[in-house]
Amino acid sequence: MNDDTTRPDGGVQTEPELKRGPFQRWINRSIDDPERAYRAMFYVATGFFLVTTLFPFYFLLVLAVTPEAAGLQLVPAAFDFGVFLDVFRQINFLRYMFNSLVLALTTTAIVLLLSSLAGYVFGRLEFPGRTPLMLLVLAISYFPPAAFFVPLYQLFTGNVIQGLVLYNTPGAMILPFSSLFMPLSIFILTTFYGQIPDGLEDAARVEGTTRLGALFRVIVPLSAPGVATAGVLTFIAVYNEFFFSQLMNNGQPENWAPIVGGLLQLQRAGQFQVTYGIMAAGSIIAVVPVAILVVVAQEKIVSGLTAGALKE
Amino acid sequence: MARVQLTDVTKRYEDVTAVEEMNLDIKDGEFITLVGPSGCGKSTTMEMIAGLTSPSDGTVMIGDRDVTTLPPKDRGISMVFQNIALFPHMDVYDNISFGLRLRDYEKAEIDRRVDDAAGIVQMEGMLDRMPDEMSGGQRQRIAIARAIVREPEVFLMDEPLANLDAKLRVHMRTELQRLHKELETTIIYVTHDQAEAMTMSDRIAVLNEGELQQFAAPLTCYNEPRNEFVAGFIGSPAMNFTNGDLTGSGFSSAHYDVTFPTEGVGISPGTPVTLGVRPEDVYPEETLDDAADPTELIDAEVDVLEPMGDEIFVYLMLAEDTESGMGGDVSGDDTLLMSVSPDSTLEEGDLINVALDRAKIHLFDDDTGEALVHGVARATGASADATGEEAE
Repeated sequence: MNDDTTRPDGGVQTEPELKRGPFQRWINRSIDDPERAYRAMFYVATGFFLVTTLFPFYFLLVLAVTPEAAGLQLVPAAFDFGVFLDVFRQINFLRYMFNSLVLALTTTAIVLLLSSLAGYVFGRLEFPGRTPLMLLVLAISYFPPAAFFVPLYQLFTGNVIQGLVLYNTPGAMILPFSSLFMPLSIFILTTFYGQIPDGLEDAARVEGTTRLGALFRVIVPLSAPGVATAGVLTFIAVYNEFFFSQLMNNGQPENWAPIVGGLLQLQRAGQFQVTYGIMAAGSIIAVVPVAILVVVAQEKIVSGLTAGALKE
Repeated sequence: MARVQLTDVTKRYEDVTAVEEMNLDIKDGEFITLVGPSGCGKSTTMEMIAGLTSPSDGTVMIGDRDVTTLPPKDRGISMVFQNIALFPHMDVYDNISFGLRLRDYEKAEIDRRVDDAAGIVQMEGMLDRMPDEMSGGQRQRIAIARAIVREPEVFLMDEPLANLDAKLRVHMRTELQRLHKELETTIIYVTHDQAEAMTMSDRIAVLNEGELQQFAAPLTCYNEPRNEFVAGFIGSPAMNFTNGDLTGSGFSSAHYDVTFPTEGVGISPGTPVTLGVRPEDVYPEETLDDAADPTELIDAEVDVLEPMGDEIFVYLMLAEDTESGMGGDVSGDDTLLMSVSPDSTLEEGDLINVALDRAKIHLFDDDTGEALVHGVARATGASADATGEEAE
């Protein structure tokens, strides 16, 4: 259409429309309908968080697939997916992953077993000193792990008790992991076990279980979301742990070094150059198990962390 | 089936005594009910029989065994809980067979027993349901099936009907009695509902504040309550109580007097006593002939009528008895509850005369609360017709 506001003779043909850009029109509509503004804010915030959380992953991927010869760009010009295979070719990366999984699973099993017992005691029994004891247990989880390192290192390298050498064995990592991550599980399970109606435990005991039997046959199955939450959180925490993982072994796969050791090994893969690409590829592979676990267990974790209420 | 004996069973917590020297001797195959208000120790007593709580003192015997220190699973008991307590993560079959599976029964034997038990509670064909797919009544039946499937020596039932609606509760009451007849197992039942206790049990144990008040057949507790607490607790609506004094010629209160020979009462005239009489033993003047031995007439005003259909509860305001010369400061005793037949023509506000049935009057010692006398005789010395008898 032709321009309404001006004529060749300069006169005004019709009432002039207010000159508005799209932004002003949007604002005007938002004033009429504030929901639009809230929705816009939601998208902006979501976009912001998506970019800040996902961009590192994206760049990790870029870093991995950019061939060494090519320059690093935001959008890579060339791709080389062979680097993911190189990870396994250059070092025994599978063994590192296996070590990580074994350490994480073993720790999770130990933590769940012990914190189930502790959760039962704190959640279902009345005894003097219960609250202070619970607080003490929780306080341990706030201690910096570094505070434990030197004494534990001395202990595990056989300098305290002659002949007891745990350095370079799974025990050197599983023991500190278990004690560090147990308080959170105890806390979660205490809450869950405390909510199971007394009648159910009594019924199980009358029907023929011991207290311990009632715990594992009735209370634990009924607290499945809580147990799953505690288990998944422990698993991820151990899998991601850096400090003891790196210091309690010499980084060799046969000495139970977890993925951290593998990545550091990859750093040394290229003797005279920095091998960011292969390290990035290793990191991406390392993320996969946790990503799968989170996707699979997500529903349970969410319901476990938020709700936890159980009907009788 | 077994006899259950509690000897001096006491449960003390840090600051309170929940159960004080409880002695119960429950016969083999008997249906007994522990009844009392909230916090009277009835559930604690049951938990001690079950082994869920250990007594501070005393012994619990089931059959010939001293089970005081045995865990619940080794006591040969099973239990039905107030909150039903079916395991929500197991289907009906797994719930019923839980105890059998723990005891390593053969699969065929378990199936047979589960089918039997489900048949007894009329829940065949529901074995693969989950508890949350069933109604409250069905769940309670499954809980009962779980209790009977192990063929225990003693059933413990802790207010099993309390969470059911009123209609279902009455229905399940009958079912439980039928079940008891069928199984002939000793049943110990806990309830705070005296109607449940009255209707179902062979004997009832009335508890208050951790102490056994009376352990007798329901009608004995109703007709010859051992003390004022039992008299007030058993029966609905509750017994009327009037505070007064024992005089040389009978009972005297602010509102009315009842004459009777006081020799048999056992305490001396001038002592404060409480007179108790049940609503159905108060008669309006018209139907006075129905009373076995009516007392002197009492002036009263009809305050409130509560028609129940089969009877009418009449709340009476008592007029001041000027002759007794007692002051008007007695306020709790101003009313009397009377039950009359539904064809009565009484209206609110009517001034009427009522009488009590001497044969059904109870006297309680104010100091101890103990019953002194159940039923009193006529003052004229015609004591031959006294249906009442002395306590103890």
